[in-house]
Amino acid sequence: MKVGIPGGLLYFRYGRLWNSFLNALGAEVVESGETTRSILTSGVSKAENESCLPVKVFYGHVLALKDKVDALFVPRLVSVKKNTHTCPKMLGLPDMAKSAVGEKVDIIAPTIDFHFGLWTNYRAVYSTGRRFTRNPAKIISSGIEAWKEHGSYLEKLTMGVDHKQALEGGSEQRLCEGRELRVGVIGHHYNVYDTFTTMSLLERLGAMGVDVMTADMVPETLRELELKKLPQEIYWSYEQEIAGAILACGRYKLVDGIIFMISFPCGPDSIIRVLCEQEIRSMDTVPMMTLVMDEHTGEGGFLTRIEAFVDMLRRKKDRAEADNRVVVAV
Amino acid sequence: MKISWPHMGSLEVVLASVFEELGLEYVPAPPNSERTLELGARYGPEFACFPLKTTLGNFIEAIEAGADTLIMVAGRGPCRFGYYAETQRRILEDAGYEFEMVPLTFHLGKMPLLMRQLRRLKQSASWTSLARAVKIALSKAYLIDRLEQQALHQRYLDRDKGATTSALKECYEMVFQCDGYDRLRRVEREGFELLHSVPKTERQPIKIGIIGEFYLVLEPFFNLQVEEQLGYLGAYVERNIYLTDWLRPSGNKPIAGHHDSESEEAARPYLTHAVGGEGLHSVGNTVLFHRHGFDGVVHLMPFTCMPETIAKSILPMVSQDLGIPVLSLVIDEMTGKAGVATRLEAFVDLAHFRRRAHRQELPLAPQPAF
Repeated sequence: MKVGIPGGLLYFRYGRLWNSFLNALGAEVVESGETTRSILTSGVSKAENESCLPVKVFYGHVLALKDKVDALFVPRLVSVKKNTHTCPKMLGLPDMAKSAVGEKVDIIAPTIDFHFGLWTNYRAVYSTGRRFTRNPAKIISSGIEAWKEHGSYLEKLTMGVDHKQALEGGSEQRLCEGRELRVGVIGHHYNVYDTFTTMSLLERLGAMGVDVMTADMVPETLRELELKKLPQEIYWSYEQEIAGAILACGRYKLVDGIIFMISFPCGPDSIIRVLCEQEIRSMDTVPMMTLVMDEHTGEGGFLTRIEAFVDMLRRKKDRAEADNRVVVAV
Repeated sequence: MKISWPHMGSLEVVLASVFEELGLEYVPAPPNSERTLELGARYGPEFACFPLKTTLGNFIEAIEAGADTLIMVAGRGPCRFGYYAETQRRILEDAGYEFEMVPLTFHLGKMPLLMRQLRRLKQSASWTSLARAVKIALSKAYLIDRLEQQALHQRYLDRDKGATTSALKECYEMVFQCDGYDRLRRVEREGFELLHSVPKTERQPIKIGIIGEFYLVLEPFFNLQVEEQLGYLGAYVERNIYLTDWLRPSGNKPIAGHHDSESEEAARPYLTHAVGGEGLHSVGNTVLFHRHGFDGVVHLMPFTCMPETIAKSILPMVSQDLGIPVLSLVIDEMTGKAGVATRLEAFVDLAHFRRRAHRQELPLAPQPAF
């Protein structure tokens, strides 16, 4: 059975997990690979106007796989942590994929929901496995193996390995190499790591001699500490990560500047943005720039803003160092 | 302490009567206007959903009118609505306004918090009087919903355009003035008599269902009076949601919240999981409207609303499957009334043609493939 994994949205977080799970079960996995111009165009023409950019990209990936596979693997992640939700668009994703491909292609959509206990989620995973094999031991061992792979993948991201390298299992290319300037590029995985929609932002920052710090690289304890200070807790799990990372970067000066990546019109991010901008302003420690991307974002304008931001940070740092030197001389 | 809250259809009558009953001071926000929208869009975040901006505008105007305590409802998602209170508090504080925000949290796990917030609001009034006031207000809300429904059903029969609407306004006033639980029954009778006594003509209606996001369906100013417009175009209108659907406990929501297993069941072939807000019910009610022989469905959604965006991407499939026309209206601060009116007219015409074709058993034009 040929199973396709669309390379959009949560693929950037769980791709390794899904791929190794299905592989271990004996399925023939087909991935749609990286986002390209044609994937984006076909996604934009098929998806709803009001959808956010990553959902349009996801549609493109689904359409690219449509004729090559027997089934598409689009899990429905309702909640990945107790008392939180993912974005509503993730809840409806399998149904949206179904409306995009029609009846021809089967959609494998296990529902993961941590509002219920582990048992329910185990059942969901197990019943997915039963589609490929009747051997319970094989399902369980594939699950464990996939989970280990996922753990090592996340650990690599935490250590600052480039996303693509981590996905392939390598660990040479680092985003953080101890250069003089460090910028936090914070946002959803699918906004930060998608090289096409971000126009290889991370690589370009590296070429400018800037270290990149993503939300994964901000220590989890610091993120949790910051989230506890909020008057009303954020109930989207991925937004918790983002808001926590931005606030921690600001509070403990982990970086010289923050770039907050949002795709238009992301629902949760539009709300979190208000919170983060206000908090960062009141901390007055590091500058933050919010970049909103959509399918019309032009490379020129995008680059100019990044360059201006990096120049500004560099000048700020130089001036601070110059001031320090004067003090030492006196 | 002067309490205020944002507008949402007939919510004002309900909440005002609670505070009247308790003898508390309140300042109703000035009626929705272009200025409300302008203020909301100026201070609100760029692509936050439309109701956030309009309610923000309501708050600003209420503070200008002298309010100092603002009520909003808070929740736990996944829709953005649950985080409105916190976001709006930050925005208003940034803009330099002085006020206190009371985010009422209707969640079973947070009952102590809700109790604290209610104590803060009711001040010296006793819990029993609060319970009594809420009970009367809920009965009033039920009555208003039924009166509104009656108005929706009969508006197309108006001999004089707008007569039903003005009768309904009179009914609101009567319900608001009614101060006793026992007198409500008389108001009910008088209200229905008033609506029935509106001069009527003979007319064959077409039946249009309204589905969509809660706030936009309930708030006539911001949905550009879609219900009235449809009524004047000769449509018998029914909508999927009324105010009390969210105010009362229902199904698996023990305090307040909308749970409608019939529409969830109906939506199953197309959307299998709740997506927050009204997304699932929008899909389910389209199917139900089809089953009840409606000629078309108008889908209202605010720009960037997440649950309705999902519903909107699934509705074409439903429409194609069942052969029921669906008109999605995406509304934001840029939406013009003329554009909506034109589309509604065309939609009602289409429904008329389809009905005539059905009666004469002419072949229908094939549905466009989406």
